[in-house]
Amino acid sequence: MVIPFHRVNVLTGIKSARLIEDASEYANLIQKAKRPLLVLGPLLSEWSLDGKLLIEYTLEIAKIANIPICATDIVKRKMVELGTKPDSVYDAVEIVNALKDPDWRGVKKEGNHDLVIFFGIRSDLEEQCLSVLKHFAFTHLKTMTLDKYYFPHANYSLPNFRKDKQWKAFLESLIDELKKGE
Amino acid sequence: MAGVKALTKKQEEVRQLIKAEIPWEPVGPTPMPEIPDLRSWDMRLLKTYKPWYAPFCDLCCLCTYGKCDLTQGRRGACGLDIATQQARIILLACLMGCSAHAGHAGHILEFLIEKHGPDKKIDMGTFIELEAPNIRTVTGLKPETLGDLKTVIEYVYKEITHLLDSTHFGQEGSYLDYESKALHASMLDHVGMEVADIAQIVGFDFPTSVADTPMIDMGWEAVDKSKPVILLVGHNPATSCTLIDYLRENKLYDKVEVAGICCTALETTRYSDRAKIVGPLSRQLFFIRSGIADVIMTDEQCIRTDMPIEADKVGSRVIACLDKAMYGLEDATDWDTEEIVKQMVEDKKHFAILDPEKAAEVAAQVALKISPRRKKEWISDEEAKELAGKCTQCDMCERVCPNLLGLGKAMKDISEGNFDEPQKLFNKCIGCGKCDQECPQHIPILRVMQVVASKETWRIRAGRGAIMDTEIRNVGAPITLGTIPGVIAFVGCSNYPDIDDVADMVYEFAKRKYIVVLTGCAAMVAGMKKFEEGKTVYELFPPDFDAGGVVNVGSCVSNAHITGAAIKIANIFAALPLRANYEVMADYVLNRVGACGVAWGAMSQKAASIGTGCNRLGIPVLLGPHSSKYRRLYLSRKEDDDWRVMDARKREIMDTGEPSPEHIAYVAETKEKAMVMIPKLCIRKNDTPQGRSIKLNHYISLYKKYMGGGLPEDLHLFVRRDADIPLVYKKEVRVYLKEIGWQPKEPVGLPTFIGTYPTKVPLDAVIH
Repeated sequence: MVIPFHRVNVLTGIKSARLIEDASEYANLIQKAKRPLLVLGPLLSEWSLDGKLLIEYTLEIAKIANIPICATDIVKRKMVELGTKPDSVYDAVEIVNALKDPDWRGVKKEGNHDLVIFFGIRSDLEEQCLSVLKHFAFTHLKTMTLDKYYFPHANYSLPNFRKDKQWKAFLESLIDELKKGE
Repeated sequence: MAGVKALTKKQEEVRQLIKAEIPWEPVGPTPMPEIPDLRSWDMRLLKTYKPWYAPFCDLCCLCTYGKCDLTQGRRGACGLDIATQQARIILLACLMGCSAHAGHAGHILEFLIEKHGPDKKIDMGTFIELEAPNIRTVTGLKPETLGDLKTVIEYVYKEITHLLDSTHFGQEGSYLDYESKALHASMLDHVGMEVADIAQIVGFDFPTSVADTPMIDMGWEAVDKSKPVILLVGHNPATSCTLIDYLRENKLYDKVEVAGICCTALETTRYSDRAKIVGPLSRQLFFIRSGIADVIMTDEQCIRTDMPIEADKVGSRVIACLDKAMYGLEDATDWDTEEIVKQMVEDKKHFAILDPEKAAEVAAQVALKISPRRKKEWISDEEAKELAGKCTQCDMCERVCPNLLGLGKAMKDISEGNFDEPQKLFNKCIGCGKCDQECPQHIPILRVMQVVASKETWRIRAGRGAIMDTEIRNVGAPITLGTIPGVIAFVGCSNYPDIDDVADMVYEFAKRKYIVVLTGCAAMVAGMKKFEEGKTVYELFPPDFDAGGVVNVGSCVSNAHITGAAIKIANIFAALPLRANYEVMADYVLNRVGACGVAWGAMSQKAASIGTGCNRLGIPVLLGPHSSKYRRLYLSRKEDDDWRVMDARKREIMDTGEPSPEHIAYVAETKEKAMVMIPKLCIRKNDTPQGRSIKLNHYISLYKKYMGGGLPEDLHLFVRRDADIPLVYKKEVRVYLKEIGWQPKEPVGLPTFIGTYPTKVPLDAVIH
């Protein structure tokens, strides 16, 4: 059992995320999804890796893989600053509330999403949001995280990266892998 | 027939209890309601605001059939599913909260009836005739004496028993019914809180019918360390008021410093403006570890469970004053005072003393004797640097921090003599001390943080109790018409993402002429930041329940005065009868009173029941990010939900499409987002065009300020006609509305849920 970095997120249960370290596996899962969605949190505007904001990595991923974005909290502000607009604006708890309904039309009004990628929400709130979907949306969608730490309630999660450079390498590799599938 | 007879007898008993023969108002449909009596109202609320469950745990572990796996649609051995298990846990949390306040109320009543007798009259002062809006609305009784309050609290106890019963194995099987029960428990919580605070106001002569209460010194530096220091921690003022009486009677009050943490600090300063407030719950362990307190007197609720252990570390002595928390200490209540003092001074022992007068005498004598030996000081810069220098950056402290703080970086900064960033971090520390116990280098992290702790002192206005009837008469119309854009209640515990957040929000909304009311830890931290001219919000804004006022209502139990104020608007301003008429009051508040609770640092079970009680009364509550760990919110989906209401004037159901209020229990991740959400949660369907335009002006301007410009994505849902559009944004909004094909909508004259669901309440009951 992998213990998440933040102990408030320790799993009390039996169904925990599959830990994936191989970016190509992540890329495959993303590319296989019919209607993926990126749910972005405000920490992406604060976190950076070697001077590059995490939101910049994320926008690159969204663009390459053609994934719509749901901007939670104040993420929209940073996106606008960077010259782009989110496909939808909901708070974390609101988008999760919609996602758990299999009949929801999704942010593109094309049907609910089958893979939801969470990134940059404070970890205890993100883990709770993942729990909602794990328990109440398991019939119609899977969840994935791109944060630096392990999230037990997701379906697919990265490990607890001890060093930022490991995380950076993963994200860059993911971008490369996604580019291959363009 | 036997069943009918039994019911009639029961109704007669209730009518006797509530003195139905006294005709101050006709008795409404639900005197002393039991579990099913308001269920239909709950189900109507839950139809729009559906429970959102975020399970902490995949399992149920509550009986020996378990552990049962409840994932992926599985049911436990008893048949329970994961949603119903969450609702059961929520009910248990609300019952804990309700019991804590009801227990407090029961104890304080017993104490005050012993002191004054059961016939002591309830007099809330010249400007408060409607003394008990929650009690009158829920039970139908108009309490006139302390003895009447006992009748009320016994009703609450009875309901708690039945509600707790339902959580036992093999009973309730519906999450909606568990939610209805949680709403019932939480409504009762507001009744229990009201009993407690009315009793306190009457029995201790706390301020009432006054807005301009004294200003109090706050902060640990406000505590005069040259004197013996007695620290009070908890909620129950029987301990602190008796202590102050003892010190006054024995001419010791000049010689002993009395300070408080958490709600008992607020209660103590309602009794004596010379007492000091150290700060909220999050400063408890930090202050105790400073060793400044010679004697710590604990009572109940939100006190650390390791108090004697922590006290031992710094040489403080503990007196446990209430049976709720006795810490395994010897009960010295019947001992000779001299013997207790001797053992506490010489043998450094702690005791439980359940007689407040004896506890007061012992505390004073012990503090006087041991304070000259106190040698505790704040840590020096050099000592802090040396201790922090032992940090190996293993991150264990960060891993266990409930607020996810990067303490390793702070240790590095401190070791290098850089205190600025750690100072900011300290403002986010909730003071639990988990980092200390995890550190493999045994660095006393909390003590090291003393070096960056603020040495400032602040001024906070003493809690003033209930909102006056006269104030309600003045603001009832502007609130319900929308020209006062909202009443915002900052309540709850101190589990904040950042301690400055509450003060910033209070400042923003008071400036914008909202009415801001505060209780508990939120009331304290609102005063722990200085704005222009070095003044706190209590010094900058008037203390009146009026536009732009900042009102410290008091402690946790004073939360009943906030729901009470909402009921008063319906009763005093709108002239709707309240007696045993909960459904009508709640419907009025939900649909017509632009009020919003903000429990930004909610942590405890009490906060769960306070918030859920607000929800049943129709007041939405915005919570901070930690509160997703309560496991349940009440959310709508604005595009898809049913926003039909009855227009009581036209007697027609109207599809408004307007999500107001959008959610009733909601979590925001950041202060900035909360700032945008709060004005939206104050919008109501009955706003006049002028009122709506004012509310939308705040919504749009705060959106632009915190979301980087543009217009809110859901703005069109709140614009009914062109007149609703704020003048300053007219052009921009018109362009936007044209783009999306917006069509004007007919405003609703008198919006109500009554008539849209099965209820015994006739539609005429909501027309005033």
